[in-house]
Parts: sequence; C-alpha cells; structure tokens
Amino acid sequence: MLAVMKLSIVRGGGFGGLVTVTSADTASLAPGDAGTLRAKVEQTGLFDLPEHMSGPPRQPHPFTYAVTVEDQGRTHTVRVSEEDLPESLSALISWVSSVEGREERVVPPGLEP
Amino acid sequence: MPFHGGTCRSGQAPHGELLCSIAPPDVLARVAERGSPEEREAAIRTLVESVALRARRNAVSSLVRDLNADLADFSFMSGTPAVAAEKRCTVYDAQHGGHLNLPGRRERGEGDPPAADPSVNEAYDGSGATYDFYMDVFKRNSIDGQGLELVSSVHYLTDYDNAGWNGVQMVYGDGSGRMFAKGAFTKAVDVIGHELTHGVTQYTAGLVYHKQPGALNESMSDVFGSLVKQYGRGQSADQADWLLGEGILGSAVHGEALRSMKAPGTAFDLDRQPAHMDDYRDLPDDDDPRNDHGGVHINSGIPNRAFFLAATAMGGYAWEKAGRIWYVTLTEHLRPFSEFVEAAETTVTVAGELFGDGSPEQEQVRDAWRQVGVLA
Repeated sequence: MLAVMKLSIVRGGGFGGLVTVTSADTASLAPGDAGTLRAKVEQTGLFDLPEHMSGPPRQPHPFTYAVTVEDQGRTHTVRVSEEDLPESLSALISWVSSVEGREERVVPPGLEP
Repeated sequence: MPFHGGTCRSGQAPHGELLCSIAPPDVLARVAERGSPEEREAAIRTLVESVALRARRNAVSSLVRDLNADLADFSFMSGTPAVAAEKRCTVYDAQHGGHLNLPGRRERGEGDPPAADPSVNEAYDGSGATYDFYMDVFKRNSIDGQGLELVSSVHYLTDYDNAGWNGVQMVYGDGSGRMFAKGAFTKAVDVIGHELTHGVTQYTAGLVYHKQPGALNESMSDVFGSLVKQYGRGQSADQADWLLGEGILGSAVHGEALRSMKAPGTAFDLDRQPAHMDDYRDLPDDDDPRNDHGGVHINSGIPNRAFFLAATAMGGYAWEKAGRIWYVTLTEHLRPFSEFVEAAETTVTVAGELFGDGSPEQEQVRDAWRQVGVLA
C-alpha cells in the first residue's frame, strides 16, 4: 500500500493580503482523486523544482504561493509568485483548491506557520 | 508629475524595474552634469520646470495668506498650465483567460454606450471616475500625467479572488464568493481607485512593494481610492465612512469591509491592522506568503490613520487640503525606498509650503503623525 502523500498550499498576497491554507492528502480523498493527486504532483516535478522561484514582486497584488509536498518521508517546499507559476503547478493548485475532501481556512497575514 | 518633456517612458522592463520613476532633483542634477546632450537637456528642462512650479506655488501660497483669500480662488494656477484632458477608458472581456490572453475581447471604448455586461460598465465607470478625480482635483492627466489610456480587463481567470494593476492595465477577477463576493471588485469605486493609484505611484514615487515603502505604497492607494469614493459622493471628511472595500467580502470572511482608515483592525474578523507604531509588525521581507512582503497590507493601517486624522482635523472635503498635501508628497517628493518617518516629515514640509509654516494645517498634519507614533 502506498504511503500517504500530503500536499499543502499556502497562498498570500492579493488585494487584501489575506492568507488561505488549503491541504489535501491521499488518505482523505476518494480513491480516484487520490490517484489524480499523485499524477498531478508527478506532472509538476514538484520535488525537483527550486525552493525559491521568484524574486521581488514586479507588480502589487500578485498571489504568492508556498506549496509543500510530503511523500514517503521526503518533504519539499516551493515558493513562487503567481507571475512565475509554471502551467502544471498552476493546474495542480487549481485542482486541489476545488477537490472534495480538502481542508481550507483563511487566516490573517503575519501568523507563525 | 504632469510635466512636459520629462525623462519618462512608459512600459515594462523585462525584470520589472520601473521605467517611469521621476528622478528627484539631485539625480536630475547629476544627469544634467554628466549625461549625453539629450539627457542633459531633458534633465535641465525638468529641473527648471519643477523649480518654477515650486516657486510659483510658494508665491501663490504667500499671496493667498496675504490677501486672506481661499486657495480655491487660485486653483487656475495650480498644477501645470492648461492641461488637456485626454480621458480614454477602454474595457475588455478576458473571457476567463490568463495573462497571455490579455487584454481579451474589446467590449467598450471611450464614449461608447453601455455594454450588456454590467462588469464591463462598472469597470468603465470606475476608471472614468478615477480619471475625473485626478484631473478635476489635481490637474493630473491620467495616471502617468500624460493621458495614458486606462485599459481594464474583466472576467480574468475563473473565480479569481483578486484585482490589480499589472503595470500596464487593470485586471479584475470575478471573485469566488468565498474570499470576495462574486462581481464585487468592479462594483467598488474605491477598489478601482486603489488599483489605479498603484499606477500613479509607479509613475511617480516608485515606492517598492515591501516593508515600510510597500506599506506607504498600499496606504497611498487606500488614501486616493477613498478620496475617489468621497469625491463621487460629495462627502466631507466627517461624512465619509473611511472604509475600503465595503461590501466586497465573501462568505469565508465576516465583516463590513476590508480595511478601515478610521479604525484600523476593526473592518472584519481577520483584520489585524495596527493603528499605531507600538503595534507595527516587523515581518520578514521574504517569499513566504504569510509574511506579506514585510507586512505591506498590515502596516499600511498606520499611515492610513494618520491621513484620516489629518483630514478630519482640517475639516471640509478631505481631497482639498489633506489630499493635496499627500498628492504633492507622493508625486513630487517620495522615492522608491522612502519610509514612514520621511513620508511624515515630508507631509509636514509640504503643508508648510502650501499653507504656511506654523499654519493650523501644518500643525494638524504633524499632530496626526504624532498620534500614530511616527513623529515624536
């Protein structure tokens, strides 16, 4: 049986600076969705993406993301601005943000992780 | 700054450095000294014009005080001579595409009748109102001072909980209904004024988007966004609600508005804005999304409240005195790395230039910054 894969997406910035934390793991999703999660993460090559993908914001209000994947004992976090989001990572974020079984909450900026 | 022949080009550089930041006098002087013949000519012209403008404004201010007249009597002399109004608002439908598909399908141009889509009409009206405010009150011809066409794209992406100025145009998401209400961004004229003011800042002070300069950048957008709203409603400083983004919040957040300039920290349940330097949040300026680039949306509460205090102390319409002081500060003095203390001291100096040293207005500005703990 495969170990649980966990994905969490912290999104900040935007018009209000508010932070949304969205997380999903293969144990909480329906089996089909769990498979899709693995496939989409695979497609992004998330473990091989650099930890810091963006410089200072070029314009006000882009969203900024920190995407963390945990799988089989390895953890990796990629921080990237909306301005520099690769297509596959954008697709992963969109999908996780609407999949049934995800957890989601909104918090003010500035809180400890 | 509405000068002709300034060294200002519009557009975006590949790495996003500001192409259109008006240089402060010392930089202009160096260019005048050491630049190419064309650069020297442009720098000297800009320097002479800014000196002339400042001298004329000081002369007018003295005259106003000596004659016991109203500054409004002299409004024909403020700003540049006979600025031509070139309002050009154009709205496109991004059709849920992303940045590669901007601006999208053209839906309404300047002077066209209303479109079928209410979002198009709201974006059109809001950018028009912002243009009118800056022209009527400050004789500023669009956000670059040179008649830049105001392009907006609505229906950007899908359920996108964001709106913004991307360096060349306005972009509006529809909102998901969770963080922001669907269709809300185009309905709120203060949101539109806020975003377009980021463009004004880009073309003038160039305040960088992190830490204190970033919080000042955010505050200037809140100040002038609020003034656009108050101007449209004909509200005086004490009639205004001083709320940003009233009615735009979605179901996941609870409250009246996104921010309050009168009472930072009270607008909605997750509002953590400080109202005083004692509560300044010195967050790291890194790429962690929780840190808000060093707290630019959080610490903006402090200069926001300073403006509210100054405007209400002066009374009347907030754009006439306090707004003018802040406008001159932003467009003629502040620089990319200006911090709170420099901004505060500058507003005090400008208030002295406009209303006289030792005037009630100058004292009210100084007192406002003292109340928020920026000046001693």
